[in-house]
Amino acid sequence: MVAITLENVSKYFGETVANYQVNLQVTDGEFLVILGPSGCGKTTALRLIAGLEQPSEGAIYFDDDRVDGRSPSARNIAMVFQNYALYPHMTVAENIGYPLKVRGFSPDERDEKVEDVTSLLHIEDQVEKKPGALSGGQRQRVALARAIVREPTVFLLDEPLSNLDAKLRQEMRSELKRLQNELEITTVYVTHNQEEAMSMSDRVAVMNQGTVQQVAPPQELYDRPRTAWVAQFIGSPPMNLFQGTRRNGSIDLGEAGTVDLSGVLEAKEAVVETSERDDVQSTALLASDTQGTVSLGIRPENLTLASTPPPSGNVIEGRVDTVEPMGEYILVNVSVNDQIVNAKVSDRTVSRGDRVYLTFDTNDAYVYDTNGDLVA
Amino acid sequence: MAEDDPLEPTGIDAGSGRATDHDQYLSVDDVPDIAPTAELSWRTRIIESIPAKRRALKYVVAITIAVLWIVPFIGLFMASIRPLSEIIGGWWHLEGMTVTFENYYRAWNYSTAPMGQALLNTFIVTIPAVLVVMLLGVMAAYPFARFEFPLKTTLFFLILLVMAAPPELIAMGNFNALREFGLFDTYMGLILIHIGWGLGWVVLFLRNYLLGIPEELEEAARIDGASRYQIFRTIILPLSTPALVSVAVIQFTWVWNAFFFPLVFMRSPELYLAPQVLPLMRGRVQVEWGLIAAGSIMTMAVPVLLFLFLERYYKRGMVAAVAD
Repeated sequence: MVAITLENVSKYFGETVANYQVNLQVTDGEFLVILGPSGCGKTTALRLIAGLEQPSEGAIYFDDDRVDGRSPSARNIAMVFQNYALYPHMTVAENIGYPLKVRGFSPDERDEKVEDVTSLLHIEDQVEKKPGALSGGQRQRVALARAIVREPTVFLLDEPLSNLDAKLRQEMRSELKRLQNELEITTVYVTHNQEEAMSMSDRVAVMNQGTVQQVAPPQELYDRPRTAWVAQFIGSPPMNLFQGTRRNGSIDLGEAGTVDLSGVLEAKEAVVETSERDDVQSTALLASDTQGTVSLGIRPENLTLASTPPPSGNVIEGRVDTVEPMGEYILVNVSVNDQIVNAKVSDRTVSRGDRVYLTFDTNDAYVYDTNGDLVA
Repeated sequence: MAEDDPLEPTGIDAGSGRATDHDQYLSVDDVPDIAPTAELSWRTRIIESIPAKRRALKYVVAITIAVLWIVPFIGLFMASIRPLSEIIGGWWHLEGMTVTFENYYRAWNYSTAPMGQALLNTFIVTIPAVLVVMLLGVMAAYPFARFEFPLKTTLFFLILLVMAAPPELIAMGNFNALREFGLFDTYMGLILIHIGWGLGWVVLFLRNYLLGIPEELEEAARIDGASRYQIFRTIILPLSTPALVSVAVIQFTWVWNAFFFPLVFMRSPELYLAPQVLPLMRGRVQVEWGLIAAGSIMTMAVPVLLFLFLERYYKRGMVAAVAD
């Protein structure tokens, strides 16, 4: 079991920047999920850890050993690929035994280990079959079995569940989590599916355009997204961001209304322990003579919908665009200043074209400055 | 409520009586296991199976071409199993036909150049020329498919260029070279020539096939701890079997049927290969058509049998190599 450290790791493919100055620590036994949109460099980061690619700059450490430059086999890692990468000409047992075979384990030892791992993953009945005769879920299990059979120190998974149907994905998610808890292997898991990221991880590393945006436990990522980009990436549907102008201690959202900035800042300060930097900025934001644009962020689940203007509090005015009944909740898309705002509500009381008033608790509001950094 | 209200039930579900609406749905048990067979009379079936005019026309064209293709072969076969007196009048006259294996027997033991010996000689040349090309070909194709090395594109282009050269033109150079090395009129010399000419297309063919093997498999093997050589032997070679079979069949047919190279490079009659022997069977007084036909059938039979035997693999390899 090892801890993994990436230090200013960059990877270029010709002119393309795949990763830029990635810093990442994965502690011993941790389940870290790298989450990001397609093309953000998360798979490249994983392949750098695996040794399938070598970094253009920077260093990778397993505990205190510097491993960049070493071959994958010298790192004692295991990896599960998106398409499983099972050897089609070998049976399940041969597939699982392959890493042991090339490492010179005796046939008896091999059989014993293969037996152990197949029973752990409930695929004992499949060992004589070829991968082509298996279902997606079974292939997935074989790939996992092949990965854990030689007890690696690091376990890498590249979107392993994306080829499974929804029900199976749910099942394998808990199975994977169980397995990781039992084996206590340091795990790095790459996905673009935030549900997977949130449900399985100890911590999530959000990546965008080749670099890490935020590393935090799932709840913190949801409660306190560090940048406007992360805020809009996490959550389903994503957080609403309103562009506004800061004026006299409040945010002017044009025709839609005005939000009292001091209220938001005070509420935030009461809840979250703000760093010194935030304090300075908060004060600056409140200064009545300064002007500039800020973004106000509110999650759809924190917006309340009313047909009549409420007597007090912060109100944003808009017109209902579409209503999407989702069963569990109803998603109302409200047009505010030509921007579509999502609100999750439990009752259907409005229909298209209605004038509505969106209210929210100041505790649930986020303010991002022009750089997209969280200030309150 | 608005008219397009998505929450308002519409259609057959609408209205009261929801408690009993299970009448409107089928239970999964009601779904038959197999599709019902249509009950049709013989008459309608026959009428339906008569192709439409356009389609019938296509069939006629296709069948005509197929017959044209196969007629010479049938003629050859008929000539080989009938005595010369019967062939002279035309093999297509079927009345009073006698079937005899006399021609085969005579061809096998023909005095100037017995077919039996010639077939054996041909095997001696063809088998090494095929096996070596397969082995060298896959070993050369793998780097072209997977590795990055200097001048890769240039070298590959060079291989393609050699393929475009006409053998008749190069044969002169080959002839001189073989004489220099003392390999003229030896099987070793002929085998080397065949290997050289075969490698070009084999490398191109196998490279295309190898490109279709997912790189992920090799990466998985690298992570599993396999060396480059282990990956080649345990992953790449077994997965290339269909392509290697295709290469074997095509190269075998090519070398087996080759007439020009043995003609130029083999001089001693006892070393002659089967295609070389055929023209010698013409006879002195009159052309021994039956003898030639029997010899041709025997020569042809070997690649045809090989092809039939390996057809399943051969097709898989061809499709995969061409599809990518």
